[in-house]
Amino acid sequence: MTLKEFILSRVQMFFVLVTLILFGSAVYGEIIAPEQELFYYHLFSPIIIAGACILPTCVTYFKKEPTPRQYIIRQIVELLLIELVVMLLVSPPPKYNGSELKFYLSIGIMVGIIFIVILLLFMYIKYIQAVKLTEQLKILQATK
Amino acid sequence: MTFKQSIDMQTKITKIDKSKPEMIEIQCHTLSEEVQEIVAFVKSRQGQLSCVSDEKIYEVSVSDILYIETVDNKSFVYTLNNVYETKQRLYELEEMLKEKRFLRISKSMLLNLMKVSSIKPALNSRFMAELISGEQVVITRKYASDLKKALKGGMV
Repeated sequence: MTLKEFILSRVQMFFVLVTLILFGSAVYGEIIAPEQELFYYHLFSPIIIAGACILPTCVTYFKKEPTPRQYIIRQIVELLLIELVVMLLVSPPPKYNGSELKFYLSIGIMVGIIFIVILLLFMYIKYIQAVKLTEQLKILQATK
Repeated sequence: MTFKQSIDMQTKITKIDKSKPEMIEIQCHTLSEEVQEIVAFVKSRQGQLSCVSDEKIYEVSVSDILYIETVDNKSFVYTLNNVYETKQRLYELEEMLKEKRFLRISKSMLLNLMKVSSIKPALNSRFMAELISGEQVVITRKYASDLKKALKGGMV
Protein backbone atom coordinates (compact mmCIF):
# COMPACT_ATOMS: atom_id res chain seq x y z
CA MET A 1 0.00 0.00 0.00
CA THR A 2 1.41 3.36 -0.98
CA LEU A 3 1.20 6.34 1.36
CA LYS A 4 -1.48 7.86 -0.88
CA GLU A 5 -3.59 4.68 -0.73
CA PHE A 6 -3.12 4.56 3.02
CA ILE A 7 -4.27 8.18 3.48
CA LEU A 8 -7.31 7.52 1.27
CA SER A 9 -8.20 4.46 3.35
CA ARG A 10 -7.90 6.60 6.52
CA VAL A 11 -10.32 9.18 5.07
CA GLN A 12 -12.72 6.36 4.26
CA MET A 13 -12.30 5.02 7.79
CA PHE A 14 -12.94 8.48 9.27
CA PHE A 15 -16.42 8.68 7.78
CA VAL A 16 -17.24 5.12 8.80
CA LEU A 17 -16.06 5.94 12.34
CA VAL A 18 -18.17 9.11 12.56
CA THR A 19 -21.26 7.10 11.65
CA LEU A 20 -20.49 4.28 14.07
CA ILE A 21 -19.59 6.62 16.97
CA LEU A 22 -22.81 8.56 16.42
CA PHE A 23 -24.78 5.33 16.41
CA GLY A 24 -22.91 3.94 19.42
CA SER A 25 -23.36 7.18 21.40
CA ALA A 26 -27.09 7.23 20.67
CA VAL A 27 -27.58 3.63 21.82
CA TYR A 28 -25.28 3.97 24.84
CA GLY A 29 -26.70 7.35 25.87
CA GLU A 30 -30.23 5.97 25.70
CA ILE A 31 -29.17 3.24 28.16
CA ILE A 32 -27.10 5.18 30.70
CA ALA A 33 -28.61 8.68 30.67
CA PRO A 34 -31.86 8.83 28.64
CA GLU A 35 -32.92 12.18 30.22
CA GLN A 36 -29.68 13.89 29.28
CA GLU A 37 -30.25 16.91 27.02
CA LEU A 38 -27.74 17.64 24.32
CA PHE A 39 -26.70 20.89 22.65
CA TYR A 40 -25.72 21.54 19.08
CA TYR A 41 -22.03 21.56 19.94
CA HIS A 42 -22.36 17.96 21.11
CA LEU A 43 -22.84 17.03 17.46
CA PHE A 44 -19.16 17.81 16.93
CA SER A 45 -18.16 15.04 19.36
CA PRO A 46 -18.30 12.10 16.89
CA ILE A 47 -16.24 14.13 14.39
CA ILE A 48 -13.62 15.07 17.01
CA ILE A 49 -13.40 11.56 18.46
CA ALA A 50 -13.22 9.96 14.99
CA GLY A 51 -10.50 12.44 13.97
CA ALA A 52 -8.52 11.71 17.13
CA CYS A 53 -8.95 7.94 16.63
CA ILE A 54 -7.61 8.12 13.09
CA LEU A 55 -4.17 9.29 14.32
CA PRO A 56 -3.30 6.05 16.20
CA THR A 57 -4.31 4.01 13.14
CA CYS A 58 -1.12 5.30 11.47
CA VAL A 59 0.75 2.58 13.38
CA THR A 60 -0.65 0.11 10.84
CA TYR A 61 1.16 1.81 7.96
CA PHE A 62 3.99 -0.34 6.63
CA LYS A 63 6.44 0.74 3.99
CA LYS A 64 7.61 -2.85 3.61
CA GLU A 65 5.43 -5.91 3.48
CA PRO A 66 4.65 -7.00 7.08
CA THR A 67 4.48 -10.59 8.20
CA PRO A 68 1.04 -11.75 9.46
CA ARG A 69 2.46 -11.66 13.03
CA GLN A 70 3.68 -8.07 12.66
CA TYR A 71 0.34 -7.10 11.17
CA ILE A 72 -1.67 -8.62 14.05
CA ILE A 73 0.61 -7.01 16.67
CA ARG A 74 0.16 -3.59 15.05
CA GLN A 75 -3.61 -4.10 15.00
CA ILE A 76 -3.56 -4.80 18.75
CA VAL A 77 -1.37 -1.72 19.39
CA GLU A 78 -3.77 0.30 17.25
CA LEU A 79 -6.78 -0.84 19.32
CA LEU A 80 -5.01 -0.05 22.59
CA LEU A 81 -4.06 3.44 21.39
CA ILE A 82 -7.59 4.12 20.21
CA GLU A 83 -8.95 2.98 23.58
CA LEU A 84 -6.50 5.36 25.28
CA VAL A 85 -7.47 8.30 23.06
CA VAL A 86 -11.19 7.72 23.65
CA MET A 87 -10.71 7.39 27.41
CA LEU A 88 -8.89 10.73 27.43
CA LEU A 89 -11.59 12.45 25.40
CA VAL A 90 -14.80 11.23 26.98
CA SER A 91 -16.18 11.73 30.46
CA PRO A 92 -19.39 10.53 32.18
CA PRO A 93 -22.46 12.72 31.51
CA PRO A 94 -23.62 14.98 34.43
CA LYS A 95 -26.81 12.98 34.95
CA TYR A 96 -24.98 9.65 35.09
CA ASN A 97 -25.40 7.91 38.45
CA GLY A 98 -23.20 4.81 38.04
CA SER A 99 -19.54 4.36 38.95
CA GLU A 100 -16.79 5.89 36.79
CA LEU A 101 -15.05 2.55 36.43
CA LYS A 102 -18.23 1.00 35.05
CA PHE A 103 -18.60 3.92 32.65
CA TYR A 104 -15.05 3.68 31.29
CA LEU A 105 -15.24 -0.11 31.10
CA SER A 106 -18.42 0.03 29.04
CA ILE A 107 -16.88 2.73 26.83
CA GLY A 108 -13.86 0.45 26.32
CA ILE A 109 -16.13 -2.42 25.30
CA MET A 110 -18.04 -0.15 22.92
CA VAL A 111 -14.77 1.01 21.29
CA GLY A 112 -13.74 -2.64 20.93
CA ILE A 113 -17.06 -3.48 19.27
CA ILE A 114 -16.73 -0.53 16.84
CA PHE A 115 -13.15 -1.62 16.08
CA ILE A 116 -14.29 -5.16 15.27
CA VAL A 117 -17.22 -3.88 13.17
CA ILE A 118 -14.79 -1.77 11.10
CA LEU A 119 -12.41 -4.72 10.69
CA LEU A 120 -15.29 -6.90 9.53
CA LEU A 121 -16.47 -4.18 7.17
CA PHE A 122 -13.02 -3.88 5.57
CA MET A 123 -12.76 -7.67 5.38
CA TYR A 124 -16.11 -7.75 3.59
CA ILE A 125 -14.93 -5.07 1.11
CA LYS A 126 -11.83 -7.17 0.45
CA TYR A 127 -13.94 -10.28 -0.02
CA ILE A 128 -16.05 -8.45 -2.61
CA GLN A 129 -12.83 -7.34 -4.37
CA ALA A 130 -11.58 -10.94 -4.44
CA VAL A 131 -14.89 -12.15 -5.90
CA LYS A 132 -14.72 -9.45 -8.58
CA LEU A 133 -11.09 -10.36 -9.39
CA THR A 134 -12.06 -14.03 -9.74
CA GLU A 135 -14.88 -13.06 -12.14
CA GLN A 136 -12.46 -10.95 -14.21
CA LEU A 137 -9.99 -13.81 -14.17
CA LYS A 138 -12.59 -16.21 -15.54
CA ILE A 139 -13.31 -13.76 -18.37
CA LEU A 140 -9.57 -13.55 -19.13
CA GLN A 141 -9.25 -17.34 -19.13
CA ALA A 142 -12.26 -17.71 -21.41
CA THR A 143 -10.72 -15.34 -23.98
CA LYS A 144 -7.57 -17.40 -24.65
CA MET B 1 17.48 -9.45 -22.88
CA THR B 2 21.13 -8.38 -22.69
CA PHE B 3 24.14 -10.30 -23.94
CA LYS B 4 27.78 -9.89 -23.09
CA GLN B 5 29.74 -7.79 -25.52
CA SER B 6 32.01 -10.73 -26.30
CA ILE B 7 29.30 -11.97 -28.64
CA ASP B 8 30.01 -10.60 -32.05
CA MET B 9 27.49 -12.39 -34.16
CA GLN B 10 26.22 -11.34 -37.48
CA THR B 11 22.49 -11.55 -38.00
CA LYS B 12 21.05 -12.64 -41.28
CA ILE B 13 17.37 -12.72 -42.11
CA THR B 14 16.26 -14.35 -45.34
CA LYS B 15 12.73 -14.14 -46.63
CA ILE B 16 11.50 -17.51 -47.80
CA ASP B 17 8.53 -18.84 -49.71
CA LYS B 18 5.40 -19.69 -47.68
CA SER B 19 5.61 -23.30 -48.79
CA LYS B 20 8.89 -23.75 -46.86
CA PRO B 21 8.91 -24.07 -43.03
CA GLU B 22 10.30 -21.11 -41.04
CA MET B 23 13.44 -21.83 -39.02
CA ILE B 24 16.17 -20.17 -36.98
CA GLU B 25 19.69 -21.50 -37.41
CA ILE B 26 22.54 -20.45 -35.13
CA GLN B 27 26.06 -20.98 -36.37
CA CYS B 28 28.48 -20.76 -33.49
CA HIS B 29 31.96 -21.81 -32.48
CA THR B 30 30.91 -23.17 -29.12
CA LEU B 31 27.58 -23.78 -27.40
CA SER B 32 28.21 -21.00 -24.93
CA GLU B 33 25.91 -19.77 -22.19
CA GLU B 34 24.94 -16.79 -24.34
CA VAL B 35 23.96 -19.04 -27.22
CA GLN B 36 21.92 -21.17 -24.85
CA GLU B 37 20.17 -18.03 -23.66
CA ILE B 38 19.24 -17.15 -27.24
CA VAL B 39 17.91 -20.66 -27.79
CA ALA B 40 15.90 -20.48 -24.56
CA PHE B 41 14.47 -17.12 -25.58
CA VAL B 42 13.39 -18.41 -29.00
CA LYS B 43 11.82 -21.49 -27.43
CA SER B 44 9.96 -19.43 -24.85
CA ARG B 45 8.52 -17.33 -27.69
CA GLN B 46 7.25 -20.58 -29.18
CA GLY B 47 5.66 -21.61 -25.92
CA GLN B 48 8.41 -23.82 -24.54
CA LEU B 49 10.90 -23.44 -21.76
CA SER B 50 14.17 -25.32 -21.44
CA CYS B 51 14.33 -26.83 -17.97
CA VAL B 52 16.38 -29.36 -16.06
CA SER B 53 15.19 -32.11 -13.78
CA ASP B 54 17.30 -35.04 -12.53
CA GLU B 55 20.15 -33.87 -14.79
CA LYS B 56 17.96 -34.28 -17.87
CA ILE B 57 16.88 -31.44 -20.12
CA TYR B 58 13.18 -31.04 -20.77
CA GLU B 59 11.20 -28.73 -23.01
CA VAL B 60 8.32 -27.70 -20.78
CA SER B 61 5.27 -26.28 -22.45
CA VAL B 62 4.54 -22.81 -21.04
CA SER B 63 0.84 -23.65 -20.88
CA ASP B 64 1.63 -26.47 -18.41
CA ILE B 65 3.41 -24.21 -15.94
CA LEU B 66 1.55 -23.28 -12.77
CA TYR B 67 4.12 -20.83 -11.44
CA ILE B 68 7.82 -20.05 -11.39
CA GLU B 69 9.59 -19.36 -8.14
CA THR B 70 13.06 -18.16 -7.24
CA VAL B 71 14.73 -19.78 -4.24
CA ASP B 72 18.36 -18.97 -3.39
CA ASN B 73 18.95 -17.36 -6.79
CA LYS B 74 17.69 -20.43 -8.60
CA SER B 75 14.51 -20.43 -10.67
CA PHE B 76 12.14 -23.36 -10.31
CA VAL B 77 9.30 -24.15 -12.66
CA TYR B 78 6.27 -25.84 -11.14
CA THR B 79 3.86 -27.91 -13.19
CA LEU B 80 1.02 -30.10 -12.01
CA ASN B 81 3.28 -33.15 -11.51
CA ASN B 82 6.88 -31.93 -11.61
CA VAL B 83 9.34 -29.29 -10.49
CA TYR B 84 12.07 -28.24 -12.91
CA GLU B 85 14.97 -25.87 -12.66
CA THR B 86 15.70 -23.27 -15.29
CA LYS B 87 18.83 -21.22 -15.79
CA GLN B 88 16.93 -18.09 -16.61
CA ARG B 89 16.43 -15.35 -14.06
CA LEU B 90 12.97 -14.40 -12.89
CA TYR B 91 13.09 -10.93 -14.48
CA GLU B 92 14.08 -12.52 -17.81
CA LEU B 93 11.23 -14.99 -17.55
CA GLU B 94 8.85 -12.21 -16.58
CA GLU B 95 9.80 -10.29 -19.72
CA MET B 96 9.55 -13.41 -21.90
CA LEU B 97 6.27 -14.68 -20.51
CA LYS B 98 4.29 -11.51 -19.97
CA GLU B 99 2.49 -12.10 -23.26
CA LYS B 100 1.63 -15.62 -22.12
CA ARG B 101 -0.45 -14.26 -19.25
CA PHE B 102 2.17 -14.70 -16.57
CA LEU B 103 2.21 -12.07 -13.87
CA ARG B 104 4.64 -11.23 -11.08
CA ILE B 105 2.78 -11.74 -7.80
CA SER B 106 5.66 -11.38 -5.36
CA LYS B 107 9.35 -10.60 -5.30
CA SER B 108 10.12 -14.24 -6.02
CA MET B 109 7.17 -15.57 -7.99
CA LEU B 110 5.63 -15.49 -11.44
CA LEU B 111 2.11 -16.83 -11.71
CA ASN B 112 0.36 -18.31 -14.74
CA LEU B 113 -3.04 -16.64 -14.53
CA MET B 114 -4.51 -19.34 -16.74
CA LYS B 115 -3.94 -21.84 -13.94
CA VAL B 116 -5.68 -19.90 -11.18
CA SER B 117 -9.05 -21.21 -10.07
CA SER B 118 -9.93 -18.42 -7.63
CA ILE B 119 -8.63 -15.41 -5.75
CA LYS B 120 -9.25 -15.08 -2.03
CA PRO B 121 -8.66 -12.25 0.44
CA ALA B 122 -5.74 -12.43 2.87
CA LEU B 123 -4.34 -10.29 5.67
CA ASN B 124 -3.14 -6.73 5.08
CA SER B 125 -4.03 -5.95 1.45
CA ARG B 126 -2.71 -9.30 0.27
CA PHE B 127 -4.61 -11.84 -1.77
CA MET B 128 -4.27 -15.60 -2.10
CA ALA B 129 -4.48 -17.28 -5.49
CA GLU B 130 -5.77 -20.81 -5.48
CA LEU B 131 -4.38 -22.85 -8.34
CA ILE B 132 -6.03 -25.71 -10.21
CA SER B 133 -3.71 -28.04 -8.28
CA GLY B 134 -5.24 -26.85 -5.01
CA GLU B 135 -2.05 -25.05 -4.01
CA GLN B 136 -2.33 -21.52 -2.66
CA VAL B 137 0.17 -18.76 -3.43
CA VAL B 138 0.36 -15.29 -1.91
CA ILE B 139 -0.15 -12.19 -4.04
CA THR B 140 1.73 -9.57 -2.06
CA ARG B 141 0.47 -6.06 -1.34
CA LYS B 142 2.94 -4.54 -3.82
CA TYR B 143 1.80 -6.69 -6.73
CA ALA B 144 -1.93 -6.85 -5.87
CA SER B 145 -2.48 -3.55 -7.68
CA ASP B 146 -0.73 -4.95 -10.79
CA LEU B 147 -3.09 -7.90 -10.73
CA LYS B 148 -6.11 -5.59 -10.49
CA LYS B 149 -4.81 -3.53 -13.42
CA ALA B 150 -4.02 -6.62 -15.48
CA LEU B 151 -7.45 -8.13 -14.97
CA LYS B 152 -9.29 -4.86 -15.42
CA GLY B 153 -7.51 -4.06 -18.64
CA GLY B 154 -7.93 -7.59 -19.97
CA MET B 155 -4.12 -7.93 -19.75
CA VAL B 156 -2.35 -8.65 -23.05
